Amino acid sequence: MRNFLTIIFLIPLAVHPQSSSFDFHSPENIKKFADHLFCEGDYLRAIEQYELINENLDNDTIKFKVMLGYSELGFFSESNDFFRGINDKSIFYPDAYFLSFKNQLISEPGLIIAPSINSFNSFQMKSFSKLTNISMLYEDKFNISRENFTAPFDAEELNSVSTFFDHKVEPPYKSPALAGLLSAVIPGSGKMYVGEWGDGITALVVTSLFAFLAYDNFRTDHTTRAWIFTGLGAFFYAGNIYGSVASAQIFNARIDFDFNNGLELFLKQQNYFLPEYDFCE
Amino acid sequence: MENLKWRKADISYEKQIHFSKRDFSFESENAGEFITKSLANAYWFFISDVDGDNCPFRPTCSAFLLQSAKETNIFQASLMFFDRFTRDMNIAKGHDHYPRVSAGYYYDPPQNYTLNQGRIKYLPPAFIVDDE
Repeated sequence: MRNFLTIIFLIPLAVHPQSSSFDFHSPENIKKFADHLFCEGDYLRAIEQYELINENLDNDTIKFKVMLGYSELGFFSESNDFFRGINDKSIFYPDAYFLSFKNQLISEPGLIIAPSINSFNSFQMKSFSKLTNISMLYEDKFNISRENFTAPFDAEELNSVSTFFDHKVEPPYKSPALAGLLSAVIPGSGKMYVGEWGDGITALVVTSLFAFLAYDNFRTDHTTRAWIFTGLGAFFYAGNIYGSVASAQIFNARIDFDFNNGLELFLKQQNYFLPEYDFCE
Repeated sequence: MENLKWRKADISYEKQIHFSKRDFSFESENAGEFITKSLANAYWFFISDVDGDNCPFRPTCSAFLLQSAKETNIFQASLMFFDRFTRDMNIAKGHDHYPRVSAGYYYDPPQNYTLNQGRIKYLPPAFIVDDE
């Protein structure tokens, strides 16, 4: 017990002189700490530390890491603000230039119209072509041949990219007008056309039932009841035509939703064709 | 609230019903809304409150009619309502393509049925909508 207490009391005496001689707040040590946080994936705190020393060190690696960190955190405009501070002679400039387009594509999906740059290496040039081609899919106007569109992609990406191309050229939409027309001819058939079989059959049964009730009551001279059933049947009939058009529109919205989701997933899986940066080796 | 941890908690297992939130006023901006509000009030008072909470959708069919009348006009709202009513009656119980609200009801807002493609907000079936 005596030994234990002795050690406990001696530890602060041993640590204190060391800590007082160690400058925790020197730019180099802050950078070491920030690098550690960055490698741990704690980008927010790492950026805080980098921003403390960035002016002292004026280091493009730090600027790029801050840009990368902001991008990982989903602060895309902040990330692109840092891109403007990176020297175009820097070794990180091509990567930062590329990363800025990733940020742009995530925050505001649309066509990338900026040119490639001379300092791109062959991998970056190819990746940039891939990203530019993919960005075309976000535009309404899409007129590029399959060969040109798929040219930059590798064999393992070709299948997915061809599917996106086919979808863009000929989206599997259903025609709202045709859905309405079908339901006008046979109640419920417009719903069946857009894949809602249960709703279609229900509409057919309900409309037929009211039509029969109206007919039967007219036949037996119960005109008041007959007109009530006629009115109800007419509303169900018209409502079904209307609903078929609306269902086709919702079907098309689903197609667009699935397409955009699939595209986003594909780009995430490919990391937007950016390399995996490893600053922690 | 202090020492609540060590006491028997007074927990209520009563299910909150949306009837209590119903607005029976006749406030409306035009004649179409007034007619639909009157019909909905009568339906709520004489049928729905007695019959119970049976509509699998949110908004309920009557609330859907009211919201449709607000969004569009009485004629279009009627068509939207009859279409909704047919979908509610679906004999195959094929409601799996709707997203749900947190209480488990199918979420089916009238905004998706105004025939304005730009207003459609598609949500996948797995999506849970927080707010009723």
